[in-house]
Amino acid sequence: MTHAPDELLVADRLTKRYGRLLALDNVSFTIGNGITGLLGENGAGKSTAIRIFLGLAAPTSGSATALGRDASASVELRARLGYMPEHDCLPSHLSAAEFLTHMAEVSGLPPVTARTRAADTLRHTGLFEERYRPIGGYSTGMKQRVKLAQALVHDPAFVFLDEPTAGLDPVGREEMLSLIRKTYRDFGISVLMSSHLMADVERTCDRIVVFQGGRLVQSGEVDRFTSDTETVFLEVDRNREQLAAALQRRGVAVTDVGGGLTIEGPDESVYDAIRDALVEAEAPLRRMAPRRRALTELFDAAAAALPTGRN
Amino acid sequence: MRGTLRHDAASGGTVFDIGYQSYTGRREGRNRGRLAVFKNGVRTALGLGRGARAKILPWSFVTLLMGIALVMVLIAGATQRMAGPGVAAVLNLPSHADYYRIVAVIIFVFAALVAPELLCRDRRERTISLYLVRPLTGTDYVFARYAAFLTVVLAAVWIPQIILFFGLAIDDPAPGKYLAAHWRDVPRFLLAGLVMATYTTGLALLTASFTNRRAYASVFLVGLFVITAPFTAGLARMLDGPAGQWLSMFDLTNIPLYVNDIIFGEVSKVMQNAPARQLSETVHIGWYLAWTLLPAAGLWWRYRRMSP
Repeated sequence: MTHAPDELLVADRLTKRYGRLLALDNVSFTIGNGITGLLGENGAGKSTAIRIFLGLAAPTSGSATALGRDASASVELRARLGYMPEHDCLPSHLSAAEFLTHMAEVSGLPPVTARTRAADTLRHTGLFEERYRPIGGYSTGMKQRVKLAQALVHDPAFVFLDEPTAGLDPVGREEMLSLIRKTYRDFGISVLMSSHLMADVERTCDRIVVFQGGRLVQSGEVDRFTSDTETVFLEVDRNREQLAAALQRRGVAVTDVGGGLTIEGPDESVYDAIRDALVEAEAPLRRMAPRRRALTELFDAAAAALPTGRN
Repeated sequence: MRGTLRHDAASGGTVFDIGYQSYTGRREGRNRGRLAVFKNGVRTALGLGRGARAKILPWSFVTLLMGIALVMVLIAGATQRMAGPGVAAVLNLPSHADYYRIVAVIIFVFAALVAPELLCRDRRERTISLYLVRPLTGTDYVFARYAAFLTVVLAAVWIPQIILFFGLAIDDPAPGKYLAAHWRDVPRFLLAGLVMATYTTGLALLTASFTNRRAYASVFLVGLFVITAPFTAGLARMLDGPAGQWLSMFDLTNIPLYVNDIIFGEVSKVMQNAPARQLSETVHIGWYLAWTLLPAAGLWWRYRRMSP
């Protein structure tokens, strides 16, 4: 099968059923170069999709291709894929250097190359100085970085990260997100990052794929979603209620969000209405700024619109 | 992919950080992965690359097995010198056929204490999930672990026999004649060692596959090997006929030793009193194969579809 160079993962009418449970329901999407966020709550089908692309589970129907090859057809394909699990999986008695060298060899790299790559990868993930210490003595943040390093040590073309910031404090979380950005922008390795933390995805990813109840509810560029939902935020010193009433009389949809008003989908005529309403309500304007809606609001709206029940 | 140039004013030198380098060399695929798991298994079993504490247990057993062979050589040598070759031959001192009987319990306890380390830790710490997302299947993983422990046990049982063989040759007044007369012992003790190693490896690893705790597996295996022996022997003596014979077949320490006697063509003193001795050689070989192949198949069955 031929594939476009930018189509690293392709799901085509992908369905996966475990007995009576429908884990994935006829989903189709394409993931290309860059950092893609895979969003969804627990049980949405994120892990099932990753397992299918890694060739660990066969689809019930439809197809999944990774790097242009049928994901379930060849074990060898995994030599070009990386995976960072969410759960603890590191051997406490080994040093990071020894563990990464071993994992690189298991991925098919010759022993001498494996040692070199292990040292390089630990340097790039900020663990070079600590590489000979047993992993059991590492902090949570360092362990997460070892988990990322083992997914990168064999230089995969694509890497799956499952909840990479789980359990991290704000500093560790920021460092991990920075490493993920570096993974694509400096290392050239494309990323699919599964998460239920919208803020992480919004700050890190170029694209998103959103699952809900085994179905695909959204996919596309992050910028498109956030810019498409632009709103104006108004903050006044007083007479906020009178201002809201004056705007509504002019046919403008207003939401009082506490501390201010938001106005959906403004165009030029809305700005004129805002000016006139401010004068009428005698509301001194403190701040007026476009507000970019967070992904979480978009996801909530999409999820609410989706029918429930999928057996 | 990206590099940065940094000028060091103090030394006048320039440091060039070559940045991340993509790997464009050869990828050796699944066979390299299998070999890596095998090598790691051998190192784990012997505590290589670990601290002193990890080495104490396996190397104590290896030393004990070698030591017993050396003692047998020394006794044979002392008897030759003090009583003369004729007396030594009449005394029928322990030799290759007897060695595995003497060390059987040591090998079983060694397997019980060391083999679980190869499987239990990977499952307990969930490192197994990182193996299975690489170009490696559950079958590849468990086959490599099986081969690793089999190799360690083979080395532990063969090397003392080799020491014994050459030691007895050196003890003999005419080493050349000894080698010419006894060379057939070499394939026999190699085959008997293989029988002992495959039997213990399969049972030990199958047991280890049922628990994440090494201690549980070890205690169960020691109990299985050590307790079944007096228990079945005692009950078998109380029953006559086929019932007693078959009951004594469940003395798990004796199963490979019957085959050992068949290979060497001689019945050891301990074995000749066992009721199971009255069963045919075919039954003993079949029983050994069942206790070797079924655990190995069970082990494979448990890992073949394992996924992270």
